[in-house]
Amino acid sequence: MKEKVKVRNLHKSFGSLDVLKGIDIDISEGEVVCVIGPSGGGKSTFLRCLNRLEDATKGEIIVDDIPITDKKTDINKIRERIGMVFQSFNLFSHLTVRKNVMLAPVELKKMSKEKASARADELLARVGLADKAESYPHQLSGGQQQRVAIARALAMDPDIMLFDEPTSALDPEMVGEVLLVMKELAKAGMTMIVVTHEMGFAKDVADRVLFIADGVICEEGTPEELFGSPRQERTKDFLNSVLT
Amino acid sequence: MNFEKVLSNATPLLLEGLKITCLISVVSIAIGIVIGLVMCLFGMSRFKALRGISAAYIWLIRGTPMLVQALVVYFGIPQMINLFWPGFTLSSITAGIITLSLNAGAYLAEIFRGGISAVPKGQVEAARSLGLPYSKTFFKIILPQAVKIAIPSMVNQFIITVKDTSILSVIGLPELANKAKVYAGSSYLYFGTYTLLAVYYLVIISILMLIAKYVEKKFNYERKS
Repeated sequence: MKEKVKVRNLHKSFGSLDVLKGIDIDISEGEVVCVIGPSGGGKSTFLRCLNRLEDATKGEIIVDDIPITDKKTDINKIRERIGMVFQSFNLFSHLTVRKNVMLAPVELKKMSKEKASARADELLARVGLADKAESYPHQLSGGQQQRVAIARALAMDPDIMLFDEPTSALDPEMVGEVLLVMKELAKAGMTMIVVTHEMGFAKDVADRVLFIADGVICEEGTPEELFGSPRQERTKDFLNSVLT
Repeated sequence: MNFEKVLSNATPLLLEGLKITCLISVVSIAIGIVIGLVMCLFGMSRFKALRGISAAYIWLIRGTPMLVQALVVYFGIPQMINLFWPGFTLSSITAGIITLSLNAGAYLAEIFRGGISAVPKGQVEAARSLGLPYSKTFFKIILPQAVKIAIPSMVNQFIITVKDTSILSVIGLPELANKAKVYAGSSYLYFGTYTLLAVYYLVIISILMLIAKYVEKKFNYERKS
């Protein structure tokens, strides 16, 4: 399979704090990679480097043969193809749900409002929120907001989706509806990188699981390997603490 | 107290002044908004020089009374310009507008800055992650939300600006307070004239507040259903 994302010796420091200390990974097209690990271990920072919401301190990230860590690369063009979903949803609070979804295609792809609106309705139907198009974000539950956020990211037709703990801010009863949408997306062949605490989701959906701790990929493997027979002590400790 | 006499004799004079007060206020607020926005952007710029200009301007305006600013603009600066350009004069209206817009601009810059920094960081990240360049993010996402946050403080500043027009009577601007002073001085009807003057300001400010309430409601998407 074609390699979609290549990460080489990725380092990221905030001042004197080294958060990422050399990450190397290749992610293939259509692959679903779940990233697990303790808080402060660098999972989210790793994800945020992939669309340059954080600039790498050292190392290289290549998406579809384009070195995005290169300062000369037009990062906005790359970001159009990398959707991102945040822990805190971050829906545009002054816009209706439909306008949230329409904004990027209209502004960036010069899509006509009619076409973008129809496309938004289609995406909202896909995440089960066709009836909420006219609502404002604050009128929706957390689960609904997160599903809108997914629809908004999909509106640009990305071929990679990044999820940064998409269910961590949700009430327990709303986690399922968001995971369901993500599962369908995975089934449809989307390349996905998901930072998550949902071990069940990682087991069911991931092609590969990365365990990131202390700024490095401590261990990686298929869900069976990583959850079934972890090799590293660090991984065992972590899994023991979250699975019990 | 001769209220009737004041009402009938002073009214034409005061209405003339009212026109000037309204004109100066509207023009100065409009220019002030532009100056405020530009200075606010300068203040948040990557470039040290622009940040310096903004900081110096705000410091200068906030650090001096408007009365002094008006004197400098109307009497001081033209005298200096006369050294290079003999015969240069500034009308009191122009000087008044310059003073008032510079004054409002400095305070509005700070109000805008406060509104912009109150927009959650996640909004910017969401926009940038979609591929929106910074300018689009600013005008489509940050500014609309910042304006909503800033409306109450902006209205407050507009009210102050309208009232501050009365300070401009020191440079002989024929605005409302100046006209009242002239009438009171010639008729000796101080109580009636100045009470009426106060009522005029109350009416203008009340109308402004009604408009503000309407605008605030329009912007309040959080209560819209």
